[in-house]
Order: sequence, then C-alpha cells, then structure tokens
Amino acid sequence: MPWTLDRGDIAALSRGAALLSGGGGGHTRIAELASVEAVAWPITVHAIDEVDPDLPCVAVGVGGSTMVFRERLAAGELFTGAIEAVDRWTRAPARAVCLTEIGGMNSLTALPHAGALRLIDADLMGRALPGIDQFTLLVDDLPELVIAVSLGPRGAMLVADARPEDVEHVLRAAFEAAGGWAGIVIGGFRAGALEEHGVQGSLRRAFELGTAWGADDTVPLEARTAAAGGRCFGTGRVTAVELHAQDARVRIIDIEIADGSVLRLIARSEVLACVVDGLVVARAPEVIDVVDPQTGTVHQVEDIVAGRSAAVIGFAAPAWWSERTHRLRRVLPSHYGLEGLDEVAS
Amino acid sequence: MSGLELEALLEHPERGELDVIARVTDSWAAVAVEPDERSLEPVEAPVLAVLIAARAPSSWQLDAMLRRIRDRGYTGLAMPAEVAVSAGTAGLATRLGLTLLRSHRPTALARACWELTVGGDALKLAMIRKVAQTIQYSARDIGDQLGHLAANLGHGVALIAPHGVIHQAGPPLAPDLIERVDFGSWVGHLQDPLGSVASVRVDSKGSQRLRLAFHGRSLSLPQLVALAAAAEIAMPAVAARLLIDEVADMNAASRSSSLLSELLDPAAAHDAGLDRRVVERGWRTSGWHVGFSAQARGRTEPLELLRLLRPWLAELPVSAHAATRGAGVAGWLTFSHAPTRQELAHAVDQLRRLHDRALLHLAVATGVGSLQRDLAGLAHTIQEATDAARLAADRSAAGWFLHVDRLGIEQLLLAWTGSDAFHAAAQGMLDALRPEDRRTLAAYLDHESSLVATAGRLGIHRNTVAQRVARAESSLGMDLRDAEVRLAVRLALRAAEHP
Repeated sequence: MPWTLDRGDIAALSRGAALLSGGGGGHTRIAELASVEAVAWPITVHAIDEVDPDLPCVAVGVGGSTMVFRERLAAGELFTGAIEAVDRWTRAPARAVCLTEIGGMNSLTALPHAGALRLIDADLMGRALPGIDQFTLLVDDLPELVIAVSLGPRGAMLVADARPEDVEHVLRAAFEAAGGWAGIVIGGFRAGALEEHGVQGSLRRAFELGTAWGADDTVPLEARTAAAGGRCFGTGRVTAVELHAQDARVRIIDIEIADGSVLRLIARSEVLACVVDGLVVARAPEVIDVVDPQTGTVHQVEDIVAGRSAAVIGFAAPAWWSERTHRLRRVLPSHYGLEGLDEVAS
Repeated sequence: MSGLELEALLEHPERGELDVIARVTDSWAAVAVEPDERSLEPVEAPVLAVLIAARAPSSWQLDAMLRRIRDRGYTGLAMPAEVAVSAGTAGLATRLGLTLLRSHRPTALARACWELTVGGDALKLAMIRKVAQTIQYSARDIGDQLGHLAANLGHGVALIAPHGVIHQAGPPLAPDLIERVDFGSWVGHLQDPLGSVASVRVDSKGSQRLRLAFHGRSLSLPQLVALAAAAEIAMPAVAARLLIDEVADMNAASRSSSLLSELLDPAAAHDAGLDRRVVERGWRTSGWHVGFSAQARGRTEPLELLRLLRPWLAELPVSAHAATRGAGVAGWLTFSHAPTRQELAHAVDQLRRLHDRALLHLAVATGVGSLQRDLAGLAHTIQEATDAARLAADRSAAGWFLHVDRLGIEQLLLAWTGSDAFHAAAQGMLDALRPEDRRTLAAYLDHESSLVATAGRLGIHRNTVAQRVARAESSLGMDLRDAEVRLAVRLALRAAEHP
C-alpha cells in the first residue's frame, strides 16, 4: 500500500533524516522550509514492490559542501536540467524518482519532483556518507549508470558508465566549478534495480525515527534514544577538536564523559567511529550522532567545537551495507585509510 | 633484584629525558623492555613496560594500545617521545590505572631501569667511573671540586658538619636532614621523607667530624649504595683538596698580612715592587679610605676571624680589603670619590651590621677609623681603627664597636685615660725621661713615628729626633716597634699633658 506524506509530517521526517545523518548531509532546516512551498502536498510514497520494476528511475540529491549550501541557497528547479540531460542520454524519460541519501537535507530535496515522477521509498546510502562512490549503485558497480550534475543556473555535466572512483574525482571538480555544491541526478537504471542495489524504506525509517524521537525536549535524552531504538554512548563536554596528523579531512573530537571516561569520535564529514576508553564501541556504517543533550538537536560535525555539551548516540546501520563483503569494505573506517577502527569491541 | 621506584628513576641522571604524562602508581616489581607492544607478555605483578620503538599514528590507536597493555597487567608504560599524547590519552591512562611516561631516549631509560633493578653493580661502577673522571679535572678550590662532582654524578654533593653545610654544589641539601645523618659511622646512607643521603666520613686532620654527602630527593637503595661507594672513592680527593685549600689560604693570609704591614709602616720605602704587589692583590690605595679593625676578645685565630669576615665584606657595595694584622683583622673601605656624609654614615652602618653578625659567631671588638685620603691617610685611618678596636674591647655598652668620628681619636683616648689611677701610672712611667726627650717622643708618636715629620714639627734635625727617640726608648726600657707599647706610651704622654 502506498502511503502519503503530508505537510504536517515534514518536521518528523526532517528530525529522522537528521538522526540518520551521522553529523553530515547538511542541515535539514533549510530544505524543510523550501519544501513547504515547492511541494504539492500530500505526496504519495511507493514501496519498490508497488511500482513497475521497468520504470526508468532517477535518484536526486545535492552534492558538495553543505556549508556552502547554507550560504548560496538553491534557486528554482534544482534538478530539472540535469534530469533532462539524463533523459536525453538514456532516451527513456524518467518515470520514477528516489533519494541519493536519506541522511540530512537530501531527505527532502526529491520531494518537489514527487508530482511528476513516482516517488519510490528508497535511497542510495541508507544514511549520510562522505563519498560519491558510496552510493549503493556505484558500490555494486551497476553498468550503464549515467550521472548528471547541474551547473548552477544553466547547463549540466554528464558522466556515463564511469568507474566509481573516477565519478568521485570528476564530480568533486564539477562541484567546485558550480560554486561549492550542485544537484546530482543518477539515472540509467530501472526502479526494480533498487530492490537489490538500493536501501529500501528509507523515507519510512526516517519518518518513524523522527516520530519516535519526538520534539518534546522535556523528555530525557536517554528515553528519547531508547524510544527511537538507538543507544547512548555517553554525555559530556567536548574538550578538544583536532585534525588528524595524517589526513586533514579527518577530525578527532575528544569528549570527556561525565563518569570520567574518555570518548573520541573520528569523523570526516560524518562521524565514522566512536572510541570509549580505548575500545571501539561503534563505527560506520552504524550511524553515530552528536546531539545537544538539552534540545536533542543533531550537531553537524563542523559545528562541534571545544566546550560544547554533547551526547553521543548511535543507530543501527542499514543492513544493506553488511550483506556483502565488498559493500562493507566501502564503508568501514579503513576505507578512508583510518587504521584500528574496523573491529568493534565485543 | 630490587623493585623500581618512579622517584628513584626521576633522579637517575641518565634517565633518557623522561616526562611524566600520567602518574598513578609509583613503584613496580620489575621492568619489561621490548621493541613494541606486541612482544609484551601478560604479567601478574605490577610491571613497567618500556617500549623502545612503539608507534601510534593516531590518538585512538594510542588509546587502544594503552588499554591492551593495561589489560595484560602492566601498571606503567614508557614510550618514545615521538608518540604524540593528547590530554584525552593522559586522562585515559589515569582512568585505566597506568602511569604513562615519555622518554626522548628510550634506550637510555631502559639502561637506567636495568641499573636500578638488576644491575646494581653496574650502577656502582658507573658512579665510580664518574668520580674518577671528575678527579682528573683540576679544581680551583673545594667548591669547584664539589661542583665538578655534582655535575658529573647528576646528584647534589655537600660537605657537611653536625652544625650545617660547609660547602655544597648541585641541588641544595635540606638542612633538617643533617641532624639525621650518623656522624659516627664511616660510611652510611639515609632514606627519609625529606630526602636521601649517602655519606662518608672525611678523613682530615684539619677538620673534625666532616662528611662528604651525595644526596637526592627520593633515591632508591641501589642508588644510595652506589653513591656511598662513589663517596668513598671521592673522599680522599676531597680531603686532600681541603688540606691544599687550608695551606693556600694560610699562605695567602700571611702574605697579605705582611704586605699590609709594609704598606702601613711609615719607615719603609715605597718602591715599585711594593706597589706591584699591592696591585696584584687587588688592593686600592688611592681614593678615600675608612679603616676598620676587628680584634678577637678571646682566643681566636686571626685567620679564622678573617675567614668569617671575608665573604661578608665581599657583599658590601663598596670596595673592601682586609688582612690579618696582629691579633685581629685590619681592613679598609675605599671610595673612588669623596663620599657624602650620608654615604659615609651608610658605610659605617654596614660595618656595624657586619660586626653584629660576627658577634653571633665570635667575641670581637671592632673599631672604625675616620675618612682619610690616599696611602698616607690609609695608614692613619687603619691606625685609628686599631686603637678604636682596642678601646672597644672594654666597651660592652657600645656593643664592642667604636667609630672614630670627626672629633678624633684623642677625645676618645682622653675620655678613657682621664682616670686618676691611669694619670699616676703615666707620670710614674714618664718620670724617667728628660723633658726634651719626652716632648720629642710625644711629637714622634703623634706623627705616626715619622722622623722627618717630627723634625719639621719641632724645628730640629731629624738625626736629633732619632737620637732622642732612641734614648727615650732606652730610658723607658720599652720596644717602640711594638704597636701596643706605642699606644701605651702615647696615651701616657697625652694623659700627662692634660692633667
């Protein structure tokens, strides 16, 4: 049964998407505001088995710097040009749409297309992750994929059937050319492919997670975490944030937990691992969030600074990542060259 | 094998530049030295792990390593200094119960640990070798020699007597420790919360109950045993040095004393040789001088008095010289310009303080002369000071201190010689003299025993003066070269002139 998402549900969806972000994926607030106007409410959300598996499908989302996205807001039809470019290349106009990533603001960016295209409840990450080569379709290296990037007000760049590692490099260059971020459209696949090569039920998970988490900040954080099915690693104060000596993209966030234990988070644009007293207690693909202990707001990694109060919580990883060895390898901390974090202490 | 104490390790001079990052336990039953963490075997007793080549490229890897090492039973870990340790890791070490150390030279640290636990003999030999190296260097004096020992051994060195420290070098010895040292034993060591001391009796005839002590804050038994052995080896050299210093000191004092006598003797010729010796001694005879004289009021060696005063004189802001003279010490302060009244009063006040300080150690009487200029004046002011010191010896009310102020010594002398008993005695003594001899003798003594000056004053030939003085000397039956006699006769003459 398809389910509907109404305007009133947007806040819960947004909260859930923030919790699935792991500290990356951008603030949901702006996308939330934009979607209120741009979307023809209510939206019908289809599960994969409720649509024709042969429908040509596209996945849409924003890529690049989410920090810049806050400064240079999206104008007009963000993905239209890129979708047209994909359509021209595939000669099979898209009939369905899904999300590139459910974590963060991209949970909402596909919603304005839900009228023209069928919105499928699936995404390509099941959370937020730093790399473009971590889209499930690229991880499984699906053939004949077409990836288009909208270049600001005019034009689109298209990469066809490229190796995942090349896609990463080319798209990063395109984001820079487009001014820090750009809309990404991935096409060249059919809706049925998402059954095996996508993370199903992402929107529902985010919505349910956001609903369970709730907006009532008088409820203790432990209770909210438990209600949302997460676990709490500790609450304390950030004592230091340092860049990793070997890789400046990696941040090491030290948090002094109230009971005296030493909690370290290792993060890129998302938190990748949580180490407590020298033991790895969680690591990607498990979702690790840093939230404000009072309000329950999820902090973006770049907003975590020394002196800030922080609670560290975790949510189960999308099962998709653990089903095959090559998928897990693409998402473990060692994928980023970070040693000693893959093994979680029993 | 003995255990290892962190404090003892921190006092080991070759500890490989050790930093303490987190301090939880301070003592270990043993030390395990390994290239890295992987070769550390699980242990039962508290053990310090010294890793020579450990590396942890990231803070979380270091955290995990600490945890694994602690899980294997180790309560201490020393790592190479290249391993970056964040505040979080230090906190974790404390939380895990692991003392965390960093060494810039882990192999040196490993050797130090070995010496302190199983290699006691090697430690002893290393110390003795250092003492032998020290003895090879020439030292200016005992202080210099102790300085060499302290620098080479890396521990504090002190020469102690029951009443306190005589000389020391390196970190200072806690004074309260001295009373806990056994001065009766030949060699011994002491472990006390105040500090640890290894000491040996100094076999010196000149100095009784002296001990050579090597000390630290919290040395272990192997360190103390090694230091005691080192002290035994160093002691003969220290004793010899003490003797050499004593002889050199006496020699220098005696030469200074005779030089001062020559300088002050109006009859002696001032030749270039004398001037050269004065300059060599660093004495200044030009400028304005205030003489002073300190006389012992008991049986005290002049040299002992000089030794007491010398360091204090060196602290004075004006140039000060002193030498033994007669039964005491004579000296002078020199100003390059004519001092103001305030400056002069300040200088005399400082001499007074110095005298008060000396009184705490010895019974002395001090006299200070008036301000005089150049060499001639120098003799005068010192003579005044010497006379004043003699007078001061009877003046406990003045604190055995007398300053010849602008009124002059005569007033002081007269005040003292004004008694009837003295007057009668003076008359009796002088009755033996012819009136002209008496007049001549009075002028001669007033003019600092100068034949020429006396002749000028009386308007007679200096040979006549010489003859009369010689005759007076013979009539009195006294030797006028003796300063005591000169003073007595001069006082008698003055007393007789002012009945």
